[in-house]
Amino acid sequence: MALHLNLLHEEILEQRQRQRDPLKIGMMVLSALGAIMVVYYLWNAYKVLEIRTRLSQAQQNWAKVEPKVTGAQKRSAELNSIISTTKVLDGMIDGRFYWAPFLEKLSRCVALNAQLISIDGTVLDDGKISIVIDGLAAGREPRAAAEELRQLLLEQLGQSYNDVKVEFKSLEDLDTIVNIGGSNMAMARFGINATFNTVAAKPTPTPGPRTKTRGEPKQ
Amino acid sequence: MKRIQVKLSKDQIQKLSLSSIGFIVLVYVYFSFFLGPLNNSRDTMLAEIDQLQDKVANSKNELTKTSKLEQQANTSTKRFAALKALSPEGAPIAWFPPRMKTFFANQEIDKATARLENSVAYKETDLANWMRYNWILELPQADFSTLGKAVAALENAEPLMSIMRISIKALPEDPQFQQITLSASTAMVKR
Repeated sequence: MALHLNLLHEEILEQRQRQRDPLKIGMMVLSALGAIMVVYYLWNAYKVLEIRTRLSQAQQNWAKVEPKVTGAQKRSAELNSIISTTKVLDGMIDGRFYWAPFLEKLSRCVALNAQLISIDGTVLDDGKISIVIDGLAAGREPRAAAEELRQLLLEQLGQSYNDVKVEFKSLEDLDTIVNIGGSNMAMARFGINATFNTVAAKPTPTPGPRTKTRGEPKQ
Repeated sequence: MKRIQVKLSKDQIQKLSLSSIGFIVLVYVYFSFFLGPLNNSRDTMLAEIDQLQDKVANSKNELTKTSKLEQQANTSTKRFAALKALSPEGAPIAWFPPRMKTFFANQEIDKATARLENSVAYKETDLANWMRYNWILELPQADFSTLGKAVAALENAEPLMSIMRISIKALPEDPQFQQITLSASTAMVKR
């Protein structure tokens, strides 16, 4: 067997030790890690740039749309305000009391033997109408003539309004005699208070027809 | 198993420690001053993009709604313009009494006068731009049927006017005619 002598063993050992130097290995690892970090940062930076482009596009789009939207919002608020104001005004118009039809009805109630001296009509806060009428009635029975006027007024007003009340405030005979159509007639002075409601009262609920239930005995 | 023993010199240990500290500092700087701000800015921008996209989407809805509302409000707008046109420019005290005088003159009732009693703002928020003017209209002489027709015409011509009180008194010297006082309130645009 031939003798094999390694005369360079010290150098080889040194070389191996140099190769396994932890500092060198650590530096290599650090460098590799650093390179990965730089690449990762650059990749992220590229993505951020891309996002920034998207953002600027979105900002441009919004800048185009914003004035239109602001205008639309303003217009929308204005229209809503117009609609609600018109609604309130329409409510006021619809809710007011029309005096002309009332005066027409009143004129129908006054017979030839009656004369109205004054009429005072007021729209009360609760929407009711209050009328005070003063007048004179003539006839063989002047009180009956006044009563006839009251009843006619009640009937006429009842056709168009709700909760109609027509009552005498005063009714007194006068000493004065008046000549109507060639005949002398006695006179009475009357005062009438009338109140009514223009708004229709809510209908009271009536029970519906009873339906047969299963438990009910058949007849 | 062959065990490799690595013997480090003091110098090597110092270098290794320094490298480790350097590595830690590098990682800290990298995350705190480079990657962190970058990610923050990315998140902020993404949030801003989302916000803008939402706004743009909402704005489309808003525009559609407004155009629909415009169509729906067509009648109201016309009606509102017509009601607003009942209040001309200028102080009501300047134009309303002459208007009433002319109106009643056209109804064959002369010498009509209109006095402003007071004016109050409406409590309703919808009528913030409107005022209520209370007037006293005096008609010194008119017969009942002419008055009835005039009141009917007034109620039709002035939709924003509501007569709150009416007082009719027969004239003692001429019972055919009556003296009339009307208390009326009108809604007018604030000028």
